[in-house]
Amino acid sequence: MTVGNPIAFYVLAVTAVAAALGVVLFRNAVYCMLSLIVNLLMLAFFFLMLNAIFVATIQVLIYAGAVMVLFLFVVTMLAPGSAESERDRLRWQWGPAAGLAVILAGGLIVASVNGALAGDAHAAGVDRLATEITSAGGNTQAFGEALFHGYSFPFELTSALLVIAVLGAVVLGRRISGRE
Amino acid sequence: MQLSGYLIVSALLFTIGAVGVLVRRNPLVMFMSIELMLNAVNLSFMAFARFLNSVDGWMFVFLVLTVAASEVVVGLAIIVAIFRSRQRINVDDLNALKG
Repeated sequence: MTVGNPIAFYVLAVTAVAAALGVVLFRNAVYCMLSLIVNLLMLAFFFLMLNAIFVATIQVLIYAGAVMVLFLFVVTMLAPGSAESERDRLRWQWGPAAGLAVILAGGLIVASVNGALAGDAHAAGVDRLATEITSAGGNTQAFGEALFHGYSFPFELTSALLVIAVLGAVVLGRRISGRE
Repeated sequence: MQLSGYLIVSALLFTIGAVGVLVRRNPLVMFMSIELMLNAVNLSFMAFARFLNSVDGWMFVFLVLTVAASEVVVGLAIIVAIFRSRQRINVDDLNALKG
C-alpha cells in the first residue's frame, strides 16, 4: 500500500534532510536553531501525511513552538560568545565521522527496510487505520482512547517525569547565595 | 509512498543527528542534533503506526515528545550553569567533573 502523494513526499523529504544538514553545518548556533525548526515543521507535515492530525498538531505546538522557543532563549543568551569560540581543535574528526555515518545509514536502511516489522507492515496490506479512526469518532478521540486505555500508567509516569524535570531545572538554575 | 521511503528518510535524519553529535563542539548544537535523532525515530514510529494500522505508534511519539521536553529543560539548565561558572561553553573544555 502507498500513503501520500509522491511529489509531496519527495519535497518534504528533501527539505527535511537539507534542514538537518543545516543544523550540523551552519557555524552560527542561531542558524542551526532555525533550520532545526524547519526540520520539525517538515516532520509535522509528514505526520499529517500519515493521517495523524493530532500528533502533527502537538508536534507544532510543543516541539516547534514551546521547546524551540526555550532553545532560542538560551541560544541567544549564550551564542554571541560561543559562535566564534568554536575552534576546530579536532578537525580530523570529520573524516571518521563521515565514514561512520555511511556505515550507520547503510545499516539502518538495510535493517529497517528488510526487518520483521517492515515485513509485517507489507503483509498487513489493506488500509484499516482510517476506518478505525472514524469509528472512534475522530483523530483526537482515537488518540485519547488509546492513551487512557492502553497507556494510562506510562501517561501518569509522564507527569512525574515533568515534575522532576521542572524541579531539576529550578535547582540547577538557582544562584548559590553563599558562594558569590 | 511506500513504507521504505519513510524509513529511509528517518535513517538519514538519524545519521545526520549522530554526525552532529560527533563533530560539533558547541553543546547547544549537540543538543539540537540529539533532538534531530529523537525526531527521526518519531518519524519511523509514525510510519509504522500508519502501515501496521495501529495507533500504538502515536503513544510512543507522545512519550518521546515528553521525554525530549524534559531533557531539553534539564540540559539547558546545565549548560546555563556551566556558562555561568566559566563564561564560555565548549565541550572540549569540560574534562573535569568538579567545577
